[in-house]
Parts: sequence; C-alpha cells; structure tokens
Amino acid sequence: MASSSSSSKTGLKKMLTLKSSDGDEFELEESIVIQCQTIKHMVEDGFSLIPLQNVDTKTLTKIIEYMKKHAEKTESNKEEIKNFNKEFVKGSFDDQFELVSAANYLHINGLMDLLCQSIADRINNKSVRAVREIFNISNDYTPDEEEKVRDEHKWAHEGGEFDESLD
Amino acid sequence: MSFKSIVRELREMKDGIGNISRRGEEGRNWRNRAQSHIAPDVASFEPSEQGQWANIPPELLLHIIRRVEESETTWPARTAVLFCASVCKSWREVTKEIVRTPEECGRLTFSISLKQPGPRESPVHCFIKRSRDNSVYRLYFGLTPLIVCLVASVKMYLVYLIDKSSFISSNFLGTKFTLYDSQPPSDASIQERSPHSRRFRAKQENASFSSIQEGGTAPTPTSFPQSVGEKASLPSVSDAKETANDVCPRESLVVKNKAPRWHEQLQCWCLNFKGRVTVASVKNFQLVAAVDPSHNIPAEEQEKVIIQFGKIGKDIFTMDYRYPLSAFQAFAICLSSFDTKPACE
Repeated sequence: MASSSSSSKTGLKKMLTLKSSDGDEFELEESIVIQCQTIKHMVEDGFSLIPLQNVDTKTLTKIIEYMKKHAEKTESNKEEIKNFNKEFVKGSFDDQFELVSAANYLHINGLMDLLCQSIADRINNKSVRAVREIFNISNDYTPDEEEKVRDEHKWAHEGGEFDESLD
Repeated sequence: MSFKSIVRELREMKDGIGNISRRGEEGRNWRNRAQSHIAPDVASFEPSEQGQWANIPPELLLHIIRRVEESETTWPARTAVLFCASVCKSWREVTKEIVRTPEECGRLTFSISLKQPGPRESPVHCFIKRSRDNSVYRLYFGLTPLIVCLVASVKMYLVYLIDKSSFISSNFLGTKFTLYDSQPPSDASIQERSPHSRRFRAKQENASFSSIQEGGTAPTPTSFPQSVGEKASLPSVSDAKETANDVCPRESLVVKNKAPRWHEQLQCWCLNFKGRVTVASVKNFQLVAAVDPSHNIPAEEQEKVIIQFGKIGKDIFTMDYRYPLSAFQAFAICLSSFDTKPACE
C-alpha cells in the first residue's frame, strides 16, 4: 500500500490497463483514469486491469482523449480546454449516443455535462419530426392522443420556423 | 396472409405516414394526420426498428431535457421544451417531471400553466391587443399569442368566447361579469360594478381567500379535464350563482382597486405602474386583495398589486399578474373592463 502512494510522488507513476469490449487494451496513468468514478472505485478495490464490457474501442479512444486533456487542466489553459471541448462534441448524433452512454456508465461527470448540453443545444430548435428521426424514435401516440398532446401546447405550433435538418 | 407479409405491410404503412409528414410545415399537417385512419403506433410490432437512441436510459434523457428546459426560458424559444414533450410517451413523462409550475419558476410552459397561479414575487408581464374591426382580443406573452378571445353577442348579452369550453358573459346592465371555465364548479363572478365602485370577485377555486394568507396555497390544476364537451352550453347566471355557492364553501378572494395618490404637481390622482403603463386612461387599474382586518394579513401583502392593467397605445394594453391569479383569470378580469355598458364609468 505504501509503495503505491510513494511511487506516484517519486515519478514512477502507477499504470492501469483498460480493456474495451473489442478486446483492445489501453495503458494509462492512474491519475488520468480516476476522473472516472466507476474506475476509481475499482482501483480502490485493487483492480489494475479493468474490463469495460459496454464500451467499444472507438468510444474508449475518444474518452481517453478527453480524460488526458482534462487531466492537464490548470488555471492557465482554460481557453484551450474550452476549444478542445468544442471540437470534441462535433461528432454525429450516433457517436454522441455511444459517448454519452459510456460517460453515464463510467460516471465521468464533466463529460456527461458536456455531452448532454451539446445534445440539448442541437435539438433545441428542431421540429418534433426531426427529433423523432434523429433519435430514431417511433411515434407511440394514437391520433387521438396526439391531438390531446397538441391541444396542451396549442400556442407552440403557431408560426415560427423550425429546423427540419437531421444533423 | 403470413406474419411476414403483415409486418411488411405495416412497415409500408408507417413509411407512408412518414411521407405525409414530410410534406409542408409540421404544424399544418398535424390535424390531417390525426384524422387519418392509419394508426401510427403500428411500429410497436417491431421494437427492433427502434434505434439506439430509443433505448436511451431515462436518467440520461432527464439530463438532456433538463438542459433544454434550463436554456430556453423565454418564448418562442421555449417551444423546444414542448417539442420534447411531443416526441413520444416516455419523453413526455420525463419532460413533465422537469417542468415546474409558473408559481415555482415564473415561466409558462404547457397550456395548463395559463390556468395555474402566477409567480408570488415578480409578476408575469403580458400584453393585450385589441382588433376593433373583428372584436378579437389577444393575450400575448412576448410575441407569442397565448389566448384569443372573440366577442359575440348572444341575444342581448355580450359573450367573450375564450376557448371551446370557457367564456365570460355579462348581465344586461354590464354590472356583473361571470367567467365559465370548463367545469361547472369553477364558475366565478369576476367583476361586479356599482356606479361608484368596482368589486372584482374571484370565486374560482384557484384564487380562494386563504391562498394569500401566510403559508396559504392556491390549488394548481395539473391537467385539463378529460371529458370536455364539444361546446359548452350557456347556463344562466342564477344557475352559476347557486353552483358557485354550493360547491365552493371556501371564502373567495375579493380584490379591490388600489387607492390612487394625489399628485400635487400634476394636480391629479396617480397610480405607480412602474413604467408599464404609458397612456392615461379610465381603463387603467391596479388591484389588491380586499381583506377583512380580522384575518391578520400583513400590510405589505395587502399593498401587493395582484394584477395591473393599462393602456400603452391605441388598442394595446399591458397586463401584469401574479399569484394567486392565473393568466386566464387575469385576462378575464381585463376583458370585463373593456366592455362599455350603461353602468360602466
């Protein structure tokens, strides 16, 4: 136990291995990985090889990229991190789903916030039809129910231009 | 017919619906689609058709919709929140969980929030536009029309039709106006006038007297009544009185005109509308609760303007209301003061 705390001070950093659902392994410093609450708890329980059943290699690569950048966060590079975040959320909706699900599963709060806000911003001015299509949700209302729902929001549908695009 | 072919046919039907909705603006198509005989929920036969987003965990959806709700606080941008509620049933539940009442957050969201009490501290600022040529009054919140009221004449009475189940009618002299709102128990006389004074009486459950007492609450409807008839029939005024007295034993909230101050320099009576009213008019008013001294309502609460109404231009007026009145009740009170009957000042 004593060796792990002293080694991080002397420069010999403790390494952890993350294994994606595709079987790829990534070796990372513990200090980076503990941004993720789920892994932090596993480390505390003594694991050093961490299998992530729900996260594929593509998503894990992105998440590691995020964690590495955010581990460098200091007072002076706020602007840089901001730009990084901006670029980071520029994927397709499908990529974002993978990422946000993984962030939720891994409990990386900062990443969750970033992604949820980005998705919220992207659907903000979309029409109902566009949202359904983007999220691939089928309309489960009967026509009667839909009319009732419509009635509850009468004023929202009068006039106004809504974004019908799917990106 | 084999199961496979049924599934194929259903899928084609679903695609067909998709095509309909692609034509033109969403808003205009809603009604058409709603009346079509094709049930859109056929997709439930095929859960595998739903994509990964459809299986989004509710807590994640909650995070996303909460952010939409928090970032869009004004109209018409707030439409985004209602769109989230229209997507499907699970989205609707999540959205309803997030959206709070106007009393709690000071914002209007679903149509029902027009019938919920306004915020306790800062009033909601609306305005009313009058079209003289077709006798239509519109209540706006920002640029969004909230309620449209048509004025019609039924026999010798003026009737203000607000929506398919609510209307205001006056008696012959124009000394009493009654608001009928969807369900019989919530009838309320909203204005009684004598040549020298006006009394506004909100006998609606919503604005009972106790609601302004310390710690008091005004009941907040959370949904519209389910069984609203196509057209509400016109009950007579006497009927309404009986119903109101029978069903609403609670002391009703009575509001009165705020007393104006004498302005020495201008040599006239003035009310402070805090810049929201710019044109002098006999129609301008501010109302405060009329309370009995025995009820121990703090003086500060008694001075609080519950609703103010005033002219800012030709055919345009501001209406600011707050708890315990709802937008709907406030609008009704204002409409009753537009009327020009022999008994009106």
